[in-house]
Amino acid sequence: MSEPGQHRYVSSDRRVREDRRFVVGKGNFVADIGLPNTKHVALVTCPYPAARIKSIDVSAALALPGVHYVLDGAELAAATLPLMTGLDTPNVPRRPLAFEVARYAGEWVAAVVADSRALAEDAAEKVKVVYEKLPFVLDAEQALEPTSPLVHQAHGSNLLLDKTFTWGEVDKDFAASPRKLSLRVKWGRSSTVPIETFGVIASWDPWRDMLDVHASIQMPRYADQIGIALKLPVSSIRVHYDVDVGGSYGVKRGIKHTVLVGYLSRRLGFPVRLIEDRLENMRGGDAHGPERLFDVEVAFDDQGIIKSMKMRALENVGAYAGRSPFQLGKPIGAIVGPYKIQSVQYRAIAVVTNKTTQEAVRGFGQAPTNVAIERTVDEVARVLGLDPIEIRRRNMIRHEEFPYTIPSGTTYDSGNYHTVIDKVLAHTSYEELKQERDALRAQGKLAGIGIAACLEPSGGNAMFEALLNPKITTTTFMDSCRITVDGVGSITATMHTTSSGQGHETLVGTVIGEVLQLDPELARVTRPDSLNSLPSGTPVGSRMAIMLGGAAFHAATKLKAKLTAIGAHDLGIAPERAAYANGEVYDRNAPEKRRAWVDLVQIAYRNFHRMPADMEPGLSVSHVMQVPTGGKLPTADGRVQMYPCTSFEFHLILLSIDPELGRPEIVKYRVGHDCGTVINPKIVRGMTMGGIAHGIGAALYEEFAYDGEGQLMAQSFMDYLLPSSHEVPAVEIIHHCTPSPHTVLGQKGSGESGYLGAPAGIANAINDALRPLGISINTLPIKVSVLGDMIAAARDNKEK
Amino acid sequence: MKLDIGGEESFEVGIDALWRALNDPAVLVKCIPGCKEMIDEGGDRFKLILNLKVASVGGSFEGAISLADKLPPAQCKVAVSGSGTLGQGSGSATFSLEPQAAGTMMRYSGEGEIGGLVAGVGQRILKGVAKHLIGQFFKALRRETTAPVTPQ
Repeated sequence: MSEPGQHRYVSSDRRVREDRRFVVGKGNFVADIGLPNTKHVALVTCPYPAARIKSIDVSAALALPGVHYVLDGAELAAATLPLMTGLDTPNVPRRPLAFEVARYAGEWVAAVVADSRALAEDAAEKVKVVYEKLPFVLDAEQALEPTSPLVHQAHGSNLLLDKTFTWGEVDKDFAASPRKLSLRVKWGRSSTVPIETFGVIASWDPWRDMLDVHASIQMPRYADQIGIALKLPVSSIRVHYDVDVGGSYGVKRGIKHTVLVGYLSRRLGFPVRLIEDRLENMRGGDAHGPERLFDVEVAFDDQGIIKSMKMRALENVGAYAGRSPFQLGKPIGAIVGPYKIQSVQYRAIAVVTNKTTQEAVRGFGQAPTNVAIERTVDEVARVLGLDPIEIRRRNMIRHEEFPYTIPSGTTYDSGNYHTVIDKVLAHTSYEELKQERDALRAQGKLAGIGIAACLEPSGGNAMFEALLNPKITTTTFMDSCRITVDGVGSITATMHTTSSGQGHETLVGTVIGEVLQLDPELARVTRPDSLNSLPSGTPVGSRMAIMLGGAAFHAATKLKAKLTAIGAHDLGIAPERAAYANGEVYDRNAPEKRRAWVDLVQIAYRNFHRMPADMEPGLSVSHVMQVPTGGKLPTADGRVQMYPCTSFEFHLILLSIDPELGRPEIVKYRVGHDCGTVINPKIVRGMTMGGIAHGIGAALYEEFAYDGEGQLMAQSFMDYLLPSSHEVPAVEIIHHCTPSPHTVLGQKGSGESGYLGAPAGIANAINDALRPLGISINTLPIKVSVLGDMIAAARDNKEK
Repeated sequence: MKLDIGGEESFEVGIDALWRALNDPAVLVKCIPGCKEMIDEGGDRFKLILNLKVASVGGSFEGAISLADKLPPAQCKVAVSGSGTLGQGSGSATFSLEPQAAGTMMRYSGEGEIGGLVAGVGQRILKGVAKHLIGQFFKALRRETTAPVTPQ
C-alpha cells in the first residue's frame, strides 16, 4: 500500500497508449480480420414470442448461387452440448439455434452460410419455416402465476431461482423500530449498447486439429466454453486475444454465436464469420440487461437511523438463464450500500419469460439495486422532514469504523464517505444549489436536487455463484502477467484477455514502469492467444486495476529481485547489500560499483558462468494472482466475503423539468469519487464520464420495450434512445483517495464508476422536482411521455 | 402490435357487380397492394405472393386469404395472413354491402396484428401505412368495378 504523491508514474496524467491507434482509426477489430475464403452468416429468426417449429424448408435458399449451407437447430443440437449456464437448471437448456421450440421474437432458428453477408441475408428470406404459435408470457409477476404459460415446459415452472437470505435479527429490528416504510421500484430493461456489435470468425484447420477464433469478446472461460460445447479439447481452441473490442461493459458474451460459427467452420471446411447487424444485436444478440422489480421495506427511528431492510428483487431474465440470474447475487456484496444497516432480509427471484435473453451489464446488477436503496433512503428523509444529505451522513459508515463488515458477510476495505461529501459541498455550495433550484421553481419550472451515494465493489471474485448455486465450489479467481526482458534488453509484458476500451496496456506498462523505475513506454504489452496464456478472469467485476495491475506489480517485483541477485553475485556481494535503482544494481556500501541494465542482460542471456548458482538463465518471470481476501465458501447462513475493495461515489445533481413537455434537463452535475490510488487519471475520468452518460440513459431514455404481443419495439437507435451530447451535461468530478489496504498500490476499481449511482441520483432529482405536485415516480426509465402525462394530470387535479 | 381497421366506402356499381368483383381472384390480384400472384387453393382459400415495403424494411411476403361466413351478396368475412423474414401480419375483417341510391355502400371493421421487424422499425408509421394500403385497395377496386368510359 502506498500514499498518493509518492509515485513516479502511477497517478500522473499520462497518455493512454491505446488511444493512439484508435484516434487514427487503426484499431484491429474483428471485422478488420481478413481470412482467405471466409464465408458469411445471416440468421433466420422467429417472428413470434413463442412457437413450435413444425418444419423448415431450405430448398429455395440453397438454390441461390453462392449459398453454401443452411443449418437448423436440430442438427446443431445433435452435434453440440447446450451452452454453460450458472444455475442448476438442466431442463432450461440454452442453444445457439432454437431446437423444436423458439422462445422469444427474434430468436435464431436457422443460419444461412453464403459467399457474402448480403447474399446470406437474401437467402435467409427464402428459408420457409412453418410455426405453430404457442401461448407466451412477458411479465415477471405473471410468469410466477400457476396459470402462466411455461417458457420451458420440461422445467415445470417459470421459476429459475427463489432464495431468501436473512442476515441478522431482521424481525426483532423491525419490531423494535418505531417507523417503517415500503417502496416499489422498477428498473426497466436496458443494457450497454456497444457501437461495435458482436462479431466472431471461426476457422477450423483439420490438419492441425485447431479452431482459431477471433471475436469481439469479453467473457470469462470463453475458450473452455467453446471447447465443451463443441466437444473438443480446449487445447484445440485457439482464441486470439489481440483483437480490439469496440465497447462491451459486460455484454460481449457471444458464446452462442461462437459455437454456431465454430460448428459451421468444422462442418464446411472454411472460415465462417458472423457479425451482427444492429437488428440482430438488439433482438437476438442475447445482450439485454436487468429488468428488475424491487419491493423494499425499511425499519428506522425518529432520527432517521435505518436499522433493518427487507428487499425482494424479481428479475425477468428473458427466455434462457445465461449469466443473468447471478446478477441478483452480486449486489449482496454491497447490499446495504454505504450505510450501517444492521440486519437485512434479501429475497432473490429469477423467472424466465418470452423476452430476449439477458447478459452481464456494467455493475452486474448493482446499479438497479442502488436505485432501490437510494430511493428508499430519500423516502425515509422525506417522511421525517430530514435533508437527504443529512440522513445519509447519519447512516453512513464512518472513516474510523473501517474495515467494516456488513450483515451479508463482506468486509468493506476502506472509505471516507463523510469527507468525500464535504469535499463536494466545498466545491459546490449546497445552500446556493438549493437557491438555484428555488429560483427555477419561481420561474414556473419543476426543479429538483438529486443525491445518491453508493459503492462500487471491485476486484471481482464471483462468490455469488456459490451463494446462489451450492454445487459451484469455485473460490479461485486469478489474473496473471508475464514479463520477459529479451537478449538485447527490451521489455515485453503479457496480458491474457481482450480489452474493450479499459486501457489495460497502459495499466500494465505504468505499473511495470513504476516498479522497475523505468519509462513505462519501454514496456511493450502483448496479448498471446489462449493456448499461450496464463490464467485470467477477464475484465469483469471491476477487477483489472486490482488484479492485472497486481499481477504486473508482483511479476515486476520478481524481475527486480532476479536482476538484483544477478547484480549482487557479479559484484561479489551478498544480495542484501545490493540495491536496485532505475534499471541498475549497485553496492549500497559503494554506490559507484554497479551493473547496468545491459550488463545484467548480458549475464542472464550469455554469461552462465557469471550467474548465481541454481538460477534459471534468461529473464522471464510470471505471476499468477488470486483475488485478495475471501477464498472461502459461503457459510451455512449465506454469508461470504465478496469483492475485496469498495470504491465510493457521491452524486449531486440539479435538474429541471419543463412542466409543459415533461422534458428533464440536467442543470448541474457533480460527483465525488474515491477509487483509492488512481493509476491513470485519464482512464478513471473516462470511465466515470462514460458511466454517468450510461446512467443518464438508464434513468431517462434507454429501454428494450415490448408491445403486448411480445414484439420488441426498440430494435434500432430510432427507438432505443441513447443519450447524446444534448442530454449529457458537463460533469465535474471531485476526487478523493482512500487507498485500499488490500492492493499493491492502494488502487480500487473504477470500471463501473458513475453508472452505479447516476440512475439513483437522477431518479431522486426528478422526485424532488415532482414533490410540490404531490406525485412521485419509481419506474425507470422515466420517459418524457410518462412524466409529461403525470405532471399534466397532477396539475389538473390541483385545479379541481 | 395491434391495429384496428374499419370504415366505409361507397361505390357507384350495383351490389351484385361489387360482390362478384370481391370474389374474383383476377380482380383482387389487381387491387391488393403489392400482390404479385394469387393462387386459388379451392374452398374460398387463396395463396398470395406479396412484395411490400414499409419504412426502411421491404421484402417479399407469402400470405393466405380466405373468405368465410358468406351471405351473398351482403356480407363476408375476410381473413388475411402473411409472413416473410421481415415480419408477419394477420387480420380479419367483416365486410357488409348495402344497396343505396347511386350504387353500393360497403362497411368494414376488423383487427390486424403486425409482428417482427416491420412492427418494431415501422411502429410509428404502421397505422398510416395500413390506412394507405387500405386506401389503395379501394381505389383499385373502384377502378376495376367502374366500366371504362369510352372516349368520345
